[in-house]
Amino acid sequence: MTVETTTPSAPSAPPPAPDERAQVLDWVVGQAARLGSAGRAPLRRITVSTATLAVDVQWSCPPGTPAAGEEHPADHPAERQDRGREGAVLVTAPMVGTFYRAREPGAPPFVQVGDLVEAGQQVGVIEAMKLMNAVQAERAGRVSEIVAEDGAPVQYEDPLLALVPCDSH
Amino acid sequence: MFTTVLIANRGEIALRVLRTCREMGVRTVVAHSTVDRDSPAVRLADESIQIGPAAPRRSYLNAAALIAAARQSGAEAIHPGYGFLSESPEFAEICQAHGITLIGPPPGVIARLGDKVSAREFAAEAGLPLLPGGDGPAAGVSEAARTAAGVGYPVVLKASAGGGGRAMTVVHDPGDLARAYAATRREAVVLFGDPRVYVEKYLDAARHVEVQILADAHGQVLHLGARDCSVQRRRQKLIEETPPPGLPAAAVERLGELSVRAARAAGYTGAGTFEYVVDEHGACYFIEVNCRLQVEHPITEMVTGIDLVREQLLVAAGGRLSLRQEDVTASGAAIECRVNAEDPARGFLPTPGVVEEFVPPGGPFTRVDTHAAAGTRITADYDPLLAKVSVWAPTRAQALARADRALEECTVRGQGVRTNVAFLREVLAHPLFRYAKHTTSLVEQMRATPIT
Repeated sequence: MTVETTTPSAPSAPPPAPDERAQVLDWVVGQAARLGSAGRAPLRRITVSTATLAVDVQWSCPPGTPAAGEEHPADHPAERQDRGREGAVLVTAPMVGTFYRAREPGAPPFVQVGDLVEAGQQVGVIEAMKLMNAVQAERAGRVSEIVAEDGAPVQYEDPLLALVPCDSH
Repeated sequence: MFTTVLIANRGEIALRVLRTCREMGVRTVVAHSTVDRDSPAVRLADESIQIGPAAPRRSYLNAAALIAAARQSGAEAIHPGYGFLSESPEFAEICQAHGITLIGPPPGVIARLGDKVSAREFAAEAGLPLLPGGDGPAAGVSEAARTAAGVGYPVVLKASAGGGGRAMTVVHDPGDLARAYAATRREAVVLFGDPRVYVEKYLDAARHVEVQILADAHGQVLHLGARDCSVQRRRQKLIEETPPPGLPAAAVERLGELSVRAARAAGYTGAGTFEYVVDEHGACYFIEVNCRLQVEHPITEMVTGIDLVREQLLVAAGGRLSLRQEDVTASGAAIECRVNAEDPARGFLPTPGVVEEFVPPGGPFTRVDTHAAAGTRITADYDPLLAKVSVWAPTRAQALARADRALEECTVRGQGVRTNVAFLREVLAHPLFRYAKHTTSLVEQMRATPIT
């Protein structure tokens, strides 16, 4: 079970004084602890990020019930198993935008079919609002298929390429 | 008119906007998060684009994703609905920079009217009646205390960047001011990233009345009467009605004229709402402007017969409003009840779960705006609004009876899911509400002294 609270984008405003920041942090941590103890299941994790605040609280679920998020691919990592491609995992789009295989037109692609990639290696770019967002492989593997075309519009979680994980070799 | 509009919202409002677009022959693209991929709006849209995961900051609040989605789908305009990015001047500017029309007022107008302090300054210039309070944000606790002493207790401390009833603290006693000031600033930083707080007189027994306006870029500004939204819990509305009961028609007309004049002075375009509080003597004071379509817009549509989304689209496309002030006639009375997945017995806490059975009301002059159906998942990620049940009748008494009849028909079942339907019916039956003697304190009063 996960609860996430977010604030809207922060307007430009004078930053709070240092002592006020400490007070704010104390307040946030206190509220997060209260929120965490409000769940009926044992607490699993509390994450507090600052600036444009995000508080993420996760509770364990009682045995026998599906964990929240299990039915939501939203909570899955960017790579997921694809039953249609045996033994392969997919690297999926981390956001909506335009997928590019190379850093710039004419440059060699980040990866080709047959390449071995390491965990964290950049395998593509997604452009959204003229910002180039790196797409990284979350695990090591050999590229078995390039699924998305270069320059194609992709949606969040669309498959981009398939990897056969190294431990499957 | 636009060929394609991207709907950057979810739930009932995404459907509401989609339906008018379709009636106008405008192609619709619904931007949705992963958990909304099977929603009715996605099903009915001409096209849908998955923009991100459930967490709003990565989907419905993600400007880059929405712009990318608009680009991909060839949408010339984005309808933001309400909430999320609907009143973000930054998003309005981003849309403008990318040659996409945001269906709403210009960015500068949103920026000026969205900030409570600059809206107050603007309202003073425009001649709107203001509650006594500070000229701007308090420079510190001693200035806040001086202002509070000047206007007299009780006072309310409000975040300049606030909204939705958050980061607001009512102070009844001068001894509580310092602590309340510090707490409100902390909350303002956490919620809005902006510590500025200002002081205003607080009315203990007030009605909340708002005026619906429409404006085009050709100088035409008109109002569609007023709504009473005094039934609130946690400063969020539960039941709204029009016309405001107990407020003389002349007073409504005066508020309408004031709002129109102010909207014209601000260079407002599109649909908007000017909000006021009305004290026990009938004196009205401006509180804020909402630069978007309101949740409660259906009741205005029911009494006037005007499709507000249609007018929004016409104006955003550079056209003229389809009517003039003299064409606006309101008849009868309309009431909207918000059916939420929440538990009134536990402080109206949202109740996440899956709706297993949903039977919406029907019948004469009964409108249900909803995205809910059997299988709808209520998640903690979004507002727990399940349905808006709105009714129309020739008189308020008949509308009250019709609203109660409609709510009685409304069935929502699901493991862990509770609704406020029974509580809404309690409000409709409450003598203070029936005789229109209620204020924004009604829900607290009911909880303090339940009627058995």
